[in-house]
Amino acid sequence: MKKIVCVTACPTGIAHTYMAAEMLENAGKSLGVNIMCETHGAIGVENKLTEKNISESIGVIIASDIYIDKKRFHGKPLINVSIQKGIQEAYPLIQSLLDGHVKIYNHQEE
Amino acid sequence: MNIEDLIKEENVLLDFDADTKEEAIQQLAKTLFKHHKIDDLDGFLKDIYERESITSTGIGFGIAIPHAKSSHVIIPSVIFARSVEGIPFDAMDGKDAHLFFMIAMPEDGTNAHLKVLAMLSRKLMHEDFRTSLRDVSSIDEALQLLHTMN
Repeated sequence: MKKIVCVTACPTGIAHTYMAAEMLENAGKSLGVNIMCETHGAIGVENKLTEKNISESIGVIIASDIYIDKKRFHGKPLINVSIQKGIQEAYPLIQSLLDGHVKIYNHQEE
Repeated sequence: MNIEDLIKEENVLLDFDADTKEEAIQQLAKTLFKHHKIDDLDGFLKDIYERESITSTGIGFGIAIPHAKSSHVIIPSVIFARSVEGIPFDAMDGKDAHLFFMIAMPEDGTNAHLKVLAMLSRKLMHEDFRTSLRDVSSIDEALQLLHTMN
């Protein structure tokens, strides 16, 4: 099964972060993709992605309204959207990674 | 800490109605104030609007979750309100909101509260749960649904 890693985060960290995580995980189930979602909430960081998770994944979705360090995702196809988009557009976000049309992230260019 | 501690009977409004987002927010906050969950209505509203100014908490799917971590919160609480008619809430999908959760957290809110809210947030993403909540006919029924999250 293909794997996608995600990071979700929002300013207050008490609701949107988890809504986006749930939507991405559910959309992944329907599309037959294994979604691993790291949440940055007021509780702190949960389900922290491992290097292995990232290297095995076909790509990365970051749905966040706060700064997320992307260094560890260097060389992976990466989509960076608002938390709202993560909630509303979970399916098309995953689908675009499956379709292979996503730009590869280069940390040096940032 | 359970969801029962955050959403009590007096925190449920089933015949909620307002013409605007502002009016809806005011009414929800007033309910918190009336039941002594917050100590300063205007101060709490300021914190709610500050969060709202970043992005609307009308998240779509007919749900709105105005929320704040605020020094004016005495008792961590969630108000659940259901509007049959729907209220415009500046939602991303443009649809009116029918289910409202006003979340009032103290600034030193514990992880236990936050975990309950994370669970609630996840549960709200399920359509069958939203439909059941919209269709409840009594406060008891609403509480039963909301409390089955643990």
